[in-house]
Amino acid sequence: MLRPHLAIPVVLFALASSNIYAQTSNVSVPAWIETNNCAPAPQFDASVNGKPVPVTAQLGPASDQVILIVLDLTSDPMLVEAAKQALIAEISKLPANAWVGLLRAQDGLHVLADPSADRRPLIEAIKSLSNSGEPGLLETVQGSLSLADGITRKSPVRVSVLYITDGSIYSYREDYTNPVINQSDPHDLSRTFPEMLIKDKISKLVEDISSLQAPLFVVHLNYGRDRLNEAYQNGLETLADATGGRSEICHSIAEIPEGIAAMFARISSAWRLTLAVPTKIHSNIQIHLSAQCSDEELRISWRTHFHPKEG
Amino acid sequence: MKTLVNAFLSLVLALSLTDLSARALDERKPSSQQSGPLSRAAEEFKVLTREGGMRPDSPPITQVHHGPKLLWHGRVYENFRNDFLDAVPHEVNQNGESKSPLRRNQFGFNVAGPVLIPHVIKDSNTFFMLSYEGVRERISRASLHTIPTMAERSGDFSQTVDQAGNLLPIYDPATTAPNPAYNPSLPVSTSNLQYLRSPFPGNRIPAVRLAPAVQQALSLYPLPNTDIGPFFQNNYFVNAPETDTADGIIVKIDHQFGDRHRLTSLTTISSGFLGTAKYFPNIGSPNAPDHNFSTRRTELDYIFTASSKTVNSASVSMASNVVRAVNSAQSPFPNYQLIGNYLSMGTAYPNSSNARNTFEIRDAVSSRAGKHSPRLTFQLDRYQVNSFNPAYPSGEFQFSPDITSLPGITDTGDPFASFLLGLSQFAERNITTAPSYFRDSYQSIAPGDKYAISKDLTLSVTLNLSRRTPRVEKYDRQSTVDPSVVDPSNGFPGGLVFAGIQGIPAGLRPANIDLDPSIGIAWNPLGDAKTVLRASFSRSHGQIPIYDGQWGTQGFNAQQTFISPNTQLTPALDLTAGLPAFTTPLPDLTSSAADNTVADFVDLSGREPVYLSASLSVEREMPFSMLISVGTNYASGQDILVGDGAANPNAVSPGLLSYGDALYNQAFRDTLQPFPQYPGLELYGLYPAGSYQRNSGFVRVEKQASFGLSFIAYYELSKQLDDYSGPYGNQDLFNLRNNWALTSYNTPQYLQLSYIYELPFGPDHPLLQFQGWRERLVSGWTISGTAYWNDGTPLALHPEYNNTGGVLSTLYVNVVPGVDPHVANPGPSSWFNPAAFSQPADFTLGNGPRTEPDLLGPGFNTMDLSVNKRFPVGGGRAIEFNATGFDILNHANWNSPDTNIGPESAPNVDAGKIIGSHGGRVIQLGLKFNF
Repeated sequence: MLRPHLAIPVVLFALASSNIYAQTSNVSVPAWIETNNCAPAPQFDASVNGKPVPVTAQLGPASDQVILIVLDLTSDPMLVEAAKQALIAEISKLPANAWVGLLRAQDGLHVLADPSADRRPLIEAIKSLSNSGEPGLLETVQGSLSLADGITRKSPVRVSVLYITDGSIYSYREDYTNPVINQSDPHDLSRTFPEMLIKDKISKLVEDISSLQAPLFVVHLNYGRDRLNEAYQNGLETLADATGGRSEICHSIAEIPEGIAAMFARISSAWRLTLAVPTKIHSNIQIHLSAQCSDEELRISWRTHFHPKEG
Repeated sequence: MKTLVNAFLSLVLALSLTDLSARALDERKPSSQQSGPLSRAAEEFKVLTREGGMRPDSPPITQVHHGPKLLWHGRVYENFRNDFLDAVPHEVNQNGESKSPLRRNQFGFNVAGPVLIPHVIKDSNTFFMLSYEGVRERISRASLHTIPTMAERSGDFSQTVDQAGNLLPIYDPATTAPNPAYNPSLPVSTSNLQYLRSPFPGNRIPAVRLAPAVQQALSLYPLPNTDIGPFFQNNYFVNAPETDTADGIIVKIDHQFGDRHRLTSLTTISSGFLGTAKYFPNIGSPNAPDHNFSTRRTELDYIFTASSKTVNSASVSMASNVVRAVNSAQSPFPNYQLIGNYLSMGTAYPNSSNARNTFEIRDAVSSRAGKHSPRLTFQLDRYQVNSFNPAYPSGEFQFSPDITSLPGITDTGDPFASFLLGLSQFAERNITTAPSYFRDSYQSIAPGDKYAISKDLTLSVTLNLSRRTPRVEKYDRQSTVDPSVVDPSNGFPGGLVFAGIQGIPAGLRPANIDLDPSIGIAWNPLGDAKTVLRASFSRSHGQIPIYDGQWGTQGFNAQQTFISPNTQLTPALDLTAGLPAFTTPLPDLTSSAADNTVADFVDLSGREPVYLSASLSVEREMPFSMLISVGTNYASGQDILVGDGAANPNAVSPGLLSYGDALYNQAFRDTLQPFPQYPGLELYGLYPAGSYQRNSGFVRVEKQASFGLSFIAYYELSKQLDDYSGPYGNQDLFNLRNNWALTSYNTPQYLQLSYIYELPFGPDHPLLQFQGWRERLVSGWTISGTAYWNDGTPLALHPEYNNTGGVLSTLYVNVVPGVDPHVANPGPSSWFNPAAFSQPADFTLGNGPRTEPDLLGPGFNTMDLSVNKRFPVGGGRAIEFNATGFDILNHANWNSPDTNIGPESAPNVDAGKIIGSHGGRVIQLGLKFNF
C-alpha cells in the first residue's frame, strides 16, 4: 500500500514584501503529497523554529497555473523534433486554467508566446522555432526565474519554469570549459579538475536564485558522457533542486516523451503554500509542515535559511 | 499513523497529488480563461518581459540596467607551485638529495559579455570573450645515467666489468691479424677465431693512443656523482631545471544578425620559450635544444538558419605553429652516440626551424524531414609544413664495442673504449641547402542520415567519401628510392627518383580516394526508455601525415655517410683525421645520388592506414540517480604507419643468418639486400605495414548529483595485440605476423574513480549550521578527487648481446622450457625469474615473443585530490581558494624491472630486478576572483 508522504524540497527562499500581518512576510514554497487517496483535501499547518506560523494560502494541483516554458534548443534536429512533439502533446493535455508562456534562451530571453489559454499560437511558435545558436540556460535561468517570481508575487497562481534544453557545455558563448591557452605548458595541473568553472557558475546561480520563489524544472535532451558535460548536467540538477524543482536528463530519444511528460505531471501536481513568516527571525530556521491526509498525519521538517529580498 | 519524513529524503520520495486540491479548505477554485488571477499573471508577464528586454518593443538594454559593466563576467586567477609545498620526488630521494627545486606561477584572467559602448552601441547582439594566461616555470627533471668512470676516461678499463661482474676485456684493433688456424667450416669461437687481436696490456689504453679530438670533447663530459650500480653503472644523477615561459590569449567574438545569421570568430595566440633540462651545463649536453615557439589559430564560423528544420554551418580556420631552436646561429656540437648504456654527447636537430600551417574549410547542412534527419558535410583541408631541419649538421658519430672487441666474440670490447680511440662505427653529416616547403590536402563529402525507425529504435548512417593527396614540395624538391626503377650506374633496383622529373608525379605517388561507412543504432528494448542498447560499426582511413624534417629530399640535400666495411675490423671514420669535406655539387639529381647512404624510402604503393571499430553497450538507469553502462569494444587497424624498428624493405632474410661471421663484411651483407646500394633505408615512421587488434569490455557506474555527491567509476578489461610496438623493435622484418604479440603499452585492467562532494556544512545543510563569520568559514567547501589504478604493461625482454652480423636490428630472447617465469612474491628484488629466458646463440633468432604474454611490469596507481572553498563577496562575485594535491598519498610507483637477459656465461645480475621508484606528492594552490 502506498503511504502518503509530504514532500517539500529544500529550497532557499526569500522574505517577500510585507503583508497585512505586522512584522511578517509572505513566503511561497512548492510542495508535493505522495498519495493515491487523500480525502478530504489536506489543510496544511506550519511552524517556524517551533512556533506556529499561518499558512495564508495554499494552491492545490487543480488551481490556476502559469507555466513558463523556455526552449534552449541548439543541436540535433531529431532530438529537438522529439521534444517539440512531446511538448505539444503535453500542452494539449493541460486544463484550461493552465496558461503557458513560451520563451527562447538564445542571446538572452525572448518571448515567443505570451501566457494564455489559447494553445494555437503557442504550438505554432514551438513548431516554427529553429534549433540554432548557442546554449543559453546558464545565462538566462536567473532571468526566467525572476520573471516567474515577479508573477508569483503579484498573482495568486502557481508559477513554474520549465527549460527544454539540449545544449552542451562546450557550446556556450561564455567559457565554462577553461580551454588550454598555452599548448606548450606541459605541467599545467590547473585543468586536472576542469569542472570547477562549471561548479563556480552553478554556485553563483544558486546564490542568485535562492531569493526567488518559483520552482525550476529542466529536461535535458542530450546526455553527455564526458567529464565536463557530466558536471554541467549535475549542475542542472543542483539548480533545479535549489528551487524546489527537478531535472531530467534523457539518455535516448525514447526517453524524451517520458521525461517531458513526467515533468508536466510534476508541475501540475505541485502545491503552492504561502507562509507568513516573521521578518525578524534568525535566518537559520527550522520549518515544520503537517497535513492530515485521510487517516494519516503527514509531517515534514527541514532546516533552511532566508535570504532577504530587496524591494 | 504519523509519518516523519526527513527533509533530505523527501527529495527522492516526493510524489504527486492529482485530484485532491479542490477539497483543500483554503484552496482557490480554478478560474476560467477570463478569470482575474491568470489574466493578471499574463499582464505581469508582459510588463516584466518588456522591462527585461525580452520583447521586440522592449527599450534598449542599457536603459534598463545600470551599465554595461554589470553584464560582464569573468575571473582573475593565480595558480602557485613551489617545491616547499611538495614531497621530494621518490627518484630524487633515492639518490640522496633532499630538494627538487620548482618555481611555477600560472596567472591570467577571463572576461566576457556583450559589446556595449555608451552612446554608441546600446543594444548589442555582439558578445565577446577574452582570456589571457601566462606561465613562468622552472621545474627540475631527475634522471639517472651511466657515464665513464674517472679511470675509464684515462683509458684504464682494468676495473670495467660486464653485466655479470666479469672483467670486460678491451682489445687493441691495431693488433688485428687473420688467424691462420681458422676453420671456416666451424662457427667462430674463442677456440676457432677468425681474427687474432691482442687485449690492451692490463686492459689499459695507452695515453698516446687516445684520440686528441676525443680528449677535447671529454673536457665537457661530466664526472660520476653517484654509485647506484650495479658495478659502475647508474653513476650519474642529474636533476636539472626545465624552463617554460609562455603567454597566450583567446579572443572570441560572436554576433547575431537578425534571427537567422550568426557569425563567430575565435582566435588563439600563444608564444614563449621552452628550455629543456640539461644533462650537463655545456654545449655537449645531449638534451633536445631550447626552443622559441609561437602558435596562432583563428576560426570563423557562420551559422545560417534557413528554416525551423534546416540549418547550415560553415567555418574557415587557419592555424600556425612555429618552433625555432634557440642559438641556431651557433656552430653545434657533434653528436657522439655511445651504443650501450653510456650517456651520449651532442644534440640532434640543434638548429631546426619548423612551421606548420593548417587551413580548413567546412560546411555542414542538416535538416529534418519526417522521420529522417539528413546531414551533408563538406571539408577541405590544406596542410603546409615548412621545415629547415638538419639532424646532424656537425656530424653524428656512432661508437660500438665491435672495434675494441675480439672479433666474433661477444662480451668483449666497450663503446667508450672505441670512442677514446676515435674509431667510429658509423658517421653521418647532413648537408642541408635550403628549407623544404611540404604541402598536402584532404577533401571529403559525407552524407548521413539519422532515421527514427520507431520511437524506440534510431538508425544512424554516414558515408564519408574522402580524397587524400600525397605530400608535394613547393619547388618539387622531393625524392625517394623507387623499387621499380633500376639505377643505370650499377644495375641495382631502387634508383632514386625525383618529383616532377621524367614523369614522376609531384607527390611521388597517387592520391587516395576512399569511401568509408559508419552505422549505429540506439534501441530501447521492450519499449523501456530507461534501458538503451547502442551498437556501432565504422571504418576509416588515416592521412599519412607530414612530420617536421626534410625526409625524402636526398639529391637536393645530402647525407654524407661513412660506413664501416666491417665494424669488427675497420672503423667507418677515425676522428683524428676529422670529417672530410663534402664535395658533391648539389642538387645531384642522379639515380645514384643516395647510394651508400641510409636512403629515404617513401612508400609508393598507395597503402594507407585503415581502421575498423565496433561497439556494443547497454545503458540502464537505476534507482538513487545511478546510471550503469556495460559494453564491449573492438578495434583493429591495417597498414598502420611504422618506423625503422618495425619494418625494413631492405632487410636481409633471417634465413641468411647461416652465413655467420661473414655477415660482418658490409660488402657481402649488402649483396644479400634487395637494394644493395643502400646500407639502410629511412622510413621516418611513415611506412604503412603494421597491424593491431584491440578487444575490451567495460563497466561504467555514474551517480548523478544528489546530496551534494556525484561520482563516476570506470573499469576496463582489455587486450591489445600488434606487430610493431615496443621499445626494441621487431626481430623478423620479413614476416611481421611473426612479431604478433601483446601491445607494449597495453594495460589489461584499468580502474578510474572520480567524484565531487559538496560538503554538507552551513545553514542550509545538516551539519555545522553556523551563522555570521562562522557560516562564511564552514560553507562553500567542495572536494573533488580522482583515483587511478592500472596494471603494468607487458614486459619486452631483450638479450644482452646481438651477434647477428648486423642482419637483425633486434633480437628476442629464448624461452627456457619448463622454467616458470613468475616468482612467488614479485618485488623490487625479484619481479620475474630471468632463468626462464636465455640469450640466443650467435646468428640465431630468439624463440620468445616480442612482449611476454603473461609477465606484466609494475602497475600504477595515484590519487589526486582538490579542495575548493568559495567565499561569496556579494553582487555575484566570489573569491575562490583551491588546493590541489597530485599523488596526494605520496605513493611511489615502481620503475620497470631490468629486462636484459645475459648469456649463461655472463648473466645480467640485475635481470628481473627493479631499481627505484618514481612519483611524489605535488601541491598547487590557486586563488581566483570571480565577477
